[in-house]
Amino acid sequence: MIARRVASVCAAVCALAGQASSQARPPGTVVIVTGQFASSPVPTTMEGAQSTTANQELSDQLFLRLANLGPDRRTADERSFQPALARRWERIDSLTIAVELDPRARWQDGRPVVANDVAYTFARARDPKIAPKLANLLRHLADVSPDGDRRVVFRFSRAYPEQFYDIVFHASPLPSHLLGPPSAEIPRDFIQNPVGSGPYRIARAVPGQFIELAANPNFLFGPPKVSRVLFRVAGDPEARMNLLLSDEADAIENVPGLVENVRRFSEAAHVRAIALPSSTMGYLLFNQRDRVDRSRPHPILGDPGVRRAIRLALDRQGIVRATFDRFAAVPYGPVSQLLWIREQSPAAEGQNLREARRLLASLGWSDSDGDGVLDKNGMPLALALSYPLTSEVRRKIALLVQEQLRAAGIRIELIRLEGAVWNERRTRGDFDIDFSSVLQDPTPSGLTQGWSCDGGTNVAKYCNPKVDSLLERAISDPRGGGATWQAALRQIEEDAPAVFLYAPLNVYPVSRRLHDVRLRPESPWIQLWSWRAG
Amino acid sequence: MARGLSGWLAARAVQAMATLAVVLILLFVLMRIAPGDPLGRLASDRPITPAETAALRARYGLDRPIAAQFASYVQGAVRGDFGTSIEYGRPVGALIAERLPATFLLGGVVLLVNFTVGIWLGALQATNRGTLLDRLLTAVSLAGHAVPSFWLGLVLAWLVGVRWRLLPAAGMQNPLLDPDAGLAARTADLLAHLALPALTLCVVSLAGTMRYQRRAMIEVLRFPYIATARAKGVPESQVLHRHAWRNALFPVLTLFGLWLPILVTGAVFVESVFAWPGLGLLAADAVGARDYPLLMGTAALAAGLVILGGIVTDLAYAMLDPRVRAAA
Repeated sequence: MIARRVASVCAAVCALAGQASSQARPPGTVVIVTGQFASSPVPTTMEGAQSTTANQELSDQLFLRLANLGPDRRTADERSFQPALARRWERIDSLTIAVELDPRARWQDGRPVVANDVAYTFARARDPKIAPKLANLLRHLADVSPDGDRRVVFRFSRAYPEQFYDIVFHASPLPSHLLGPPSAEIPRDFIQNPVGSGPYRIARAVPGQFIELAANPNFLFGPPKVSRVLFRVAGDPEARMNLLLSDEADAIENVPGLVENVRRFSEAAHVRAIALPSSTMGYLLFNQRDRVDRSRPHPILGDPGVRRAIRLALDRQGIVRATFDRFAAVPYGPVSQLLWIREQSPAAEGQNLREARRLLASLGWSDSDGDGVLDKNGMPLALALSYPLTSEVRRKIALLVQEQLRAAGIRIELIRLEGAVWNERRTRGDFDIDFSSVLQDPTPSGLTQGWSCDGGTNVAKYCNPKVDSLLERAISDPRGGGATWQAALRQIEEDAPAVFLYAPLNVYPVSRRLHDVRLRPESPWIQLWSWRAG
Repeated sequence: MARGLSGWLAARAVQAMATLAVVLILLFVLMRIAPGDPLGRLASDRPITPAETAALRARYGLDRPIAAQFASYVQGAVRGDFGTSIEYGRPVGALIAERLPATFLLGGVVLLVNFTVGIWLGALQATNRGTLLDRLLTAVSLAGHAVPSFWLGLVLAWLVGVRWRLLPAAGMQNPLLDPDAGLAARTADLLAHLALPALTLCVVSLAGTMRYQRRAMIEVLRFPYIATARAKGVPESQVLHRHAWRNALFPVLTLFGLWLPILVTGAVFVESVFAWPGLGLLAADAVGARDYPLLMGTAALAAGLVILGGIVTDLAYAMLDPRVRAAA
């Protein structure tokens, strides 16, 4: 009797719940699942811990840039950019660019976007106390002056080909009439309900759960066809995938193109996959200095011959295929698929185990005690490979690397560390081989950070003045420096400071009810306003 | 008696404050001694220059001596300001307050099921000791206990949410539901989202309560006063409910005291698998990011609940056992 009552109550609750939680999307509505809640999607506030993909992606819906990257993402060619808030631009001389704002551009409160807004934004962006990251990126920008209501003149302290990229990509203009002085903090009210110039505005936010956007009917390029966008939050990739596969969402944030992920959503009839170049690049970074005494070279990896032999011993193509199937490539140099310079690069060197063994033998490494591990002067060719335990990709690949190097007589000890511990050791230089993964901006000029002698993130202390010179020349080359970039990459490959393992594609599973879907590698949802949702 | 109890409560409150203070000091120092710092995560996948690092350290107050940092923290905490989360850029108090309803809802349901269904099933097993029902319940509950919660969560989310589409696969509410929808619709939506995470946690936790209750009840049923009651002709239902079960509740009350904090921060995997916006996930994120203010806030809450759990258990003991009352 009791059991029957309980069963009937459960059935009624399930029926009611099923009805209430029906997640069929009405036309014009799109649900996207992201990994993080965007808590500060306002330009010049996305610094430090707020410098997240979630904040940047939402900011791109709320605020228009002056111009957007063109289809080829050539950061060094200002002619390839596409107009946004700026309808045209003109190079006055090698140090000066003038930008003319589109007179149709309006803030979401109806006020026009004016030159003062641009000057105000750059005053904030160039203040290291307000925005240290932006201030560093814009360090060559000397002055930003309004010239009337619609024209802004940018002056630089040095000539380089990515000046235009720097002024349009990093900081979207803010409405100066709604904010205090440039040196003041942006009020919390504005951060929670920003007034932007983009295709959408925030209609509702439930912290930790979702943000609902409503279309801006006065958007510069016409009312968005998608009228309502919901960014749902699910930190766990499995939960994101489930929301898509259960048809509770239309798209999910970049899924690593791992074989098993791709297989799962390729089995779902209502989903299709769109692959895009990713800004990620994974590599085995060789420590050039001794772990304990940083003034001395690393006892094993200080020898470029050993580093080259390790590279030769690895079947990188096989590793990439086993891990990502067709959704990744072996990079030539430290170059993700997002960087335009990769297009001119040769194919990466393949595996050559025999040559690896020969090279090691020529350097005096031999298996004198027959334990399967090479040694020299009593020192075994044994190295520790450290990586963060949160990365499933790196865990899988580390096992493959260990196995492949064993065949060459190199013993690899895998050290799996908690993220913060791994990073601290890495920063301190306390590693033999670090399994690194980096997110790159669309500009190749960021390579100086990791691969020049004084680079801020050069934790392995790799230093070749020739590479520094080539990078510097490439960055300053008024023609974009394509050939010089290639020379720098060749030299880095020659020095083998790392084994560049994978440059993946991001795979975006998207519901088939969405049409005209165009995704951009540097900000996937930036053209969402032009999609259609049936 | 009332004066005795209030005096006891006051003494426990002072003791609790002292314990909390010691826990917070230890935590503050240990966090800073532990490897890694809040800027580590920022530098792990994006280039970050030394100048930027220095500016951010100054912004987050990490460039000051530990003693100065602790003094600022205490000054703020006294005013009810637990600092601003480095990771979220928002006040810690507000972040915790946002997550508490989801945490208490999920934890409360699991606690309720454990201390109603679990106790009832445990007692049922004890009174049917050695029978097929006892063995069956033992096997089922232990099987549930043996299953890792994250694995069970993944399976339930996949089967019920994705494959059969009977219940939502993740989240706490349907974002498409009209914000002006009636209470019935919102409650039904909430229940639908709650079902799978609550079921997962109940399945893995129920066995503990059942085993405790079963064991305690079996012990009590062996006491001479039970035999006396039966010999005097007291009906069996009264023997079980009034004489045996009440006395068999003590060990389970201890369990309640231990469960209270675990339910707030111990559901990390389940919260993660079902994207349930609870405190467990927030605390785990704070640990990973070395978000000191948020870590202090969540740890203080967990420590407070440990202490509260102890006080509640002692109070319940006092209510149920006249000897404890007399001692108080």
